Amino acid sequence: MTLRSRTAAVAAGASIALLLSACSTDDNGGGGGGASASDVPGAEVLDDLDQAVEVEFWHSMDSTNGQVLNGLIDEFNAANEGRVRVTGTFQGDYDTTLAQHRAAIQQGDTANLIMVYDLGTQFMIDSGQTVPAQAFVDKDEYDTGALEDALLNYFTVDGDLRSFPFNNSTPLMYINRDAFEEAGLDPDNPPKDLAEIREFAEALTITSDDGQVEQYGFGAAVYGWFVEQFMARAAVPYCDNGNGREGRAAEALFNDPKIVEVVEWWQSMIDDGLAVQIGRSTDDAQAAFTSGRAAMTLESTGSLGGFLEQSEFEVGAGYFPLVSSDDPGGSIIGGASLWINGEGHSQEEVRGSWEFVQHLLTAESQSVWHAGTGYLAVNTEGYDGPEAQERATEFPQFAVAAAQLADSETSVNTAGCMMGVMSDARVAAEEGWEAALTTNDSAEAALTRAKESLQRKIDEYNDSVG
Amino acid sequence: MLPAVPTSTTEAVTGADAAADPAPPARRRRTPSADRAPGPRRETLLAWGFLAPSIVVFTLFLLYPLGRTVYLSMHGNDIIGRPSRFVGLSHFQEMFSADFGKVLVVTALFTLGVVVPGAIGALAVVLLLESQVRAQRFFRSAFALPFAFSVASASVIFAVFYNPASGVLNGLLYQLGLGQVAWLTSTDMALISICLTTVWMNLGYGVLILAAGVGSIPREVNEAALLDGASGVRRAWYITVPLLGPQLFFLIVISTINALQGFGQIHILTQGGPVGSTTTLVYSIYQLAFAHGTSDFGRASAQALVLLLMVLICTAVQFGVIERKVHYS
Repeated sequence: MTLRSRTAAVAAGASIALLLSACSTDDNGGGGGGASASDVPGAEVLDDLDQAVEVEFWHSMDSTNGQVLNGLIDEFNAANEGRVRVTGTFQGDYDTTLAQHRAAIQQGDTANLIMVYDLGTQFMIDSGQTVPAQAFVDKDEYDTGALEDALLNYFTVDGDLRSFPFNNSTPLMYINRDAFEEAGLDPDNPPKDLAEIREFAEALTITSDDGQVEQYGFGAAVYGWFVEQFMARAAVPYCDNGNGREGRAAEALFNDPKIVEVVEWWQSMIDDGLAVQIGRSTDDAQAAFTSGRAAMTLESTGSLGGFLEQSEFEVGAGYFPLVSSDDPGGSIIGGASLWINGEGHSQEEVRGSWEFVQHLLTAESQSVWHAGTGYLAVNTEGYDGPEAQERATEFPQFAVAAAQLADSETSVNTAGCMMGVMSDARVAAEEGWEAALTTNDSAEAALTRAKESLQRKIDEYNDSVG
Repeated sequence: MLPAVPTSTTEAVTGADAAADPAPPARRRRTPSADRAPGPRRETLLAWGFLAPSIVVFTLFLLYPLGRTVYLSMHGNDIIGRPSRFVGLSHFQEMFSADFGKVLVVTALFTLGVVVPGAIGALAVVLLLESQVRAQRFFRSAFALPFAFSVASASVIFAVFYNPASGVLNGLLYQLGLGQVAWLTSTDMALISICLTTVWMNLGYGVLILAAGVGSIPREVNEAALLDGASGVRRAWYITVPLLGPQLFFLIVISTINALQGFGQIHILTQGGPVGSTTTLVYSIYQLAFAHGTSDFGRASAQALVLLLMVLICTAVQFGVIERKVHYS
């Protein structure tokens, strides 16, 4: 046994060394930030093909959203017969899709086009598999003028657009208009900041004779994304080094006094019986709102369709609240963008992927996409399309999200934090917030501890990318 | 190394034996007869042949992954999740911390909170069914029904029950004029709620196993006790329960292992929260390796080895201690 196992160990060691050296050459030569317009294939590579080039597209859109997306894919395939054929596959939620992508990188078998959530942006840049979106824009002199500024702001790093925004949303405040009217409040003027929410909640909370709360004024999920949104609205950065856009972010800043204020406010709302305590489940928060138990809630624009369908009352929407009334009020986006993989893919495939992305970004497609899913129209001209117009007439609430973005100035604080472990950061912020609500710790102590628990992950990530 | 010499000597000796006795086995091989056993070498070959499929399967699906886990546990990962640097035992050293201690405590509480009420509950149902109930078959199937539910669907149903604002349970309490319970949103209640769900999910299996056991208890034993004037309770406690020993023991071992590996209900109901109060070892492994965009396979593998050790120890202790008291008829 001994001799053989020693040989095996040596062989294994050698193969690992080979593997590692192979990886490191990959990393050095990878298509990270180096690709320029001249490396990007032009439309001519798709001329005179024997058969259409296959483009594999990994996404996280299922049910209604998936059907709308498949409609757009079919449309593109029909128009590009003999040139490009796109196959979309649902890979599970964003986390799962990214995990599959990691495995695919290890096996050298990535999809051509992949949908990655906002939090994965820095990771996608560091893993060096993709062709930066800017290279395509430069090559084709593609006009990004119509694309939503807040989105370009988020996905532009070091002056280059890194990926193409596609399914994006922004959080809003939703109100039960019927409850507002019953309480003598004006549903057309929903509260704008935390103090006002509390004031409104006092009027909206209904307690029965035996002291049980029948209707809470407020109820929303403890959701890390909201921390990012509150900070953007207060114009404070989420992480250091200019939100990680001037240099690599080395520290998260979500224990900022503004967030401490939010968490303390949240706690007092629950303690005083004005808000129902909902954990981290956004499903539970949605149920609390649609069942009429909570008269105000915070949720993504993407939930509007579901709210309209499931509520027996009239649903209203307002801007996401400010922490305090003197905050400048920026707005940050969430959702995912599209990345075109270059590493290990032919010129034809890369070109085919880009042409498909262009199809998704046309005003026509975006009108269909926005009306069918409730996501923002990435191409703002999409709001003028017939489908979007029809929807806006039927449900004026849809206009609020676009207005909230148009109303907010873009700055480095609203661009969002670029951090390799951004997904962990969101969870850490959420856990700190939750700990403050469920334990005896003060908001400041809980958030600071959460921030410290994240530090090891930030350091390890930064060390491993050098 | 030293043992290498004796091994090769033995091989040489075996080889010499075979060489010294060459012809007969060779002939036998060509004309196999029913009354003569095949030669030793052929027998060995045959044995390996029969073993080969299971060896291949075990190696591929158990030994190789185990070896790989050990290897990964001693390495840090790059951002793609590839092992990139040797870290020795530092992932194991890190476990001597309050955070990991809490994970172990939660795991132990969860296991106890599932295994003990689960066994008692299943036993109670079976004993009640054993007494002459009308529509016994119906009740037996009804109580065994949770077994047919997948973890996911059962958890989703319980999520509806537990919903803090519009949940069925809080609705009931409200109708009764009682206070509201923060089923999944308080650090004190969340684990209890998860245990409740799990006990319900496991009940069907427990009832099936124990009901089968009751069916195998010889009729005469009970009849004898009946003639002696033993009451129903006495018969249940002094006859049925001791004779159910093997089934109860099996149930406890299996449900302990299941509890240590419980995942779906935690993932769907609480995602390990609030504040880690339902983060068991398995859930911690999942979070490190796959959740929210991390690929810390190194630490996850180290914890997976700890889990393996815990299952081994639990099972060994149960076989060593409880099994001695089990009466196999």
